[in-house]
Amino acid sequence: MDALVRVRGLTKIYRLDGQQTVALQDVDLDIGAGEFTAIAGPSGSGKSTLLHLIGGLDHPTAGEVWLEDQRIDRLDHNQLAELRLRSFGFVFQAFNLIPVLSALENAAFVLELRGVPRAEREQTARAALSDLGIGELWRRRPNQLSGGQQQRVAVARAHAAAPRMILADEPTANLDGATGIALIDEMRHLNQEHGVTFVVATHDPRLLERVRRIVYLEDGRIVRDEGRAS
Amino acid sequence: MLVLAWRNIWRHRTRSLGAAVAVGFVVWMSVLYFGLVGAMRDGMYVTLTDTVGHVQVHIREYRDVRDFRQSVITGAADVRVRIEQTLPGTEVAAALEVPALLSGEDRARGALLAGMEQPAAVREEFATKYLKTGRLPAPEDLDGIALGTALARTLQADVGDTVYAFAPGTDGTGASAYTVVGLVRFPEPSQDARGAILSLPAAQDLAAPGAVSRFELHLPQFRRTLDDSGLLPLREQLQAALGERMIVETWRESYPALSDLERSLRPLIIVFLTIFFVLAGLLVVNTIYLSVIERTREFGVIIAMGARRGRVTRMVLAESLVLCATGAAAGLLLGLPLVARMARGFSYPFGWSEIVEAYGMPAVMYASIAPEEIAITLAFAIGVGLLAALWPARVAGRLAPVEAMRFVA
Repeated sequence: MDALVRVRGLTKIYRLDGQQTVALQDVDLDIGAGEFTAIAGPSGSGKSTLLHLIGGLDHPTAGEVWLEDQRIDRLDHNQLAELRLRSFGFVFQAFNLIPVLSALENAAFVLELRGVPRAEREQTARAALSDLGIGELWRRRPNQLSGGQQQRVAVARAHAAAPRMILADEPTANLDGATGIALIDEMRHLNQEHGVTFVVATHDPRLLERVRRIVYLEDGRIVRDEGRAS
Repeated sequence: MLVLAWRNIWRHRTRSLGAAVAVGFVVWMSVLYFGLVGAMRDGMYVTLTDTVGHVQVHIREYRDVRDFRQSVITGAADVRVRIEQTLPGTEVAAALEVPALLSGEDRARGALLAGMEQPAAVREEFATKYLKTGRLPAPEDLDGIALGTALARTLQADVGDTVYAFAPGTDGTGASAYTVVGLVRFPEPSQDARGAILSLPAAQDLAAPGAVSRFELHLPQFRRTLDDSGLLPLREQLQAALGERMIVETWRESYPALSDLERSLRPLIIVFLTIFFVLAGLLVVNTIYLSVIERTREFGVIIAMGARRGRVTRMVLAESLVLCATGAAAGLLLGLPLVARMARGFSYPFGWSEIVEAYGMPAVMYASIAPEEIAITLAFAIGVGLLAALWPARVAGRLAPVEAMRFVA
């Protein structure tokens, strides 16, 4: 299978006040379309940094990131913004919904950024919320939703835009046990039923038990890449 | 985007309300200020045009002619008929200014005798403002004269005394004796030292039978500065009817200094508006900047999802514009009805009317605001909204998504 994302020799060094911190070092990785991949490792191992570089949120210090046949690590701010808008969905640990928008408006936000007409984007967003099992909560603002419901809205926001890949950074870290497992199941359902490609940075064992492939990072290097049947 | 902007500005109600109220107050004050200045400008306009007329007719090149005989419009009765036929409904006044030697019992002085024929109301107002003692000569009075107070002192003449005038005339030198019927305190010292008032027939008898120096046309439909541009087509029409021998001028052309005085009011108000709006703008800057700082994470997420810098910048600008537009709308809603009420007539309280009158303004004034003045006020409010948000918007637009999402307010 051709890789959807290819990473070659990826290195990221942060410099602050004359100090250098190597977050990623010479990482090679291929992720195929339709995969559900977990990036695992202890805190500070470079999981989030790898996710950010794959998603075009940051520029690497060295190395290459390819999205199919497009090299994306050299794109400028606006080109990267356009790429993220069209190709990636993001889910963050802290949910990061827009508090003044309803669940439906949050789920439709990326489509609004793309300029999709209102009726169309609301229909798509409603379907995405329903896929995540929270269709009836579409009117509620984030502060009227539980943590699990908010994270579902965040996944629906990423899913509604039908990106080529959803990148999730510690999506279950702020959720209790049952809620976390339910969210993982929802994401697996999207992966299996809708073919959505997921790359999830996590050290949550509940999630790691349920994914097909786990890439282990330590000190910015890949130490193990396990393919696993779910 | 506007819905999002509207919701965002009400996240911190007190702070946003404070900024919106500041903008609204400045807009309200500006509308009121424009209305009051409009009242003052129209008051000046009425006073000026009542005094000198809206349009004047002179002999062509009257400013350069030195010979009295060439400076007057002869056959004035025919000219008056043509004026009245061309512009029916116009009140036509005439004046004949005669340079003369004026002599008392012991002293003599060069003087400018003004033979005046004015509408009754203008004449009455002039008397109220400037007559010190006695009265003005009656319209058909051939013997009475009113002297400037300084001229009377020079001639050692008082009410009831006789003075003698010698003047170059169109038919040779004229001479006549007059009884002083009143003393006038002219506002200009030079005028007070040389000026005297006769009836028009008396001045014509003395120097130029059937002639006038100028006609002053009072057009009762022009009572507001805003209508003033309507004088130009009437001037053209009258010029065509009177021919090349005469020149028709609007009051602005005849008295450019008075016109400049009236026009100087608007730049003054623009200066005040700028100061008021800058102060309100500082509040808006504070509100928008704090709002951007508090939402750094949120902007980081929006940028991460694919919003371009320009989009984020526009989001912040939209918030500031919505905030200022809300304040401006409230200011207009409160200010315009007040100006409309005052447009029906108002007097200054606490005895200020007397002060205003002392400066030649009417006691009852009428507030007036032009559409472009409302537009200027709104443009200021929108300008403040844009300028105040430029810097915070730039800050938001240039956020790096990863750093922004790590930000803790």
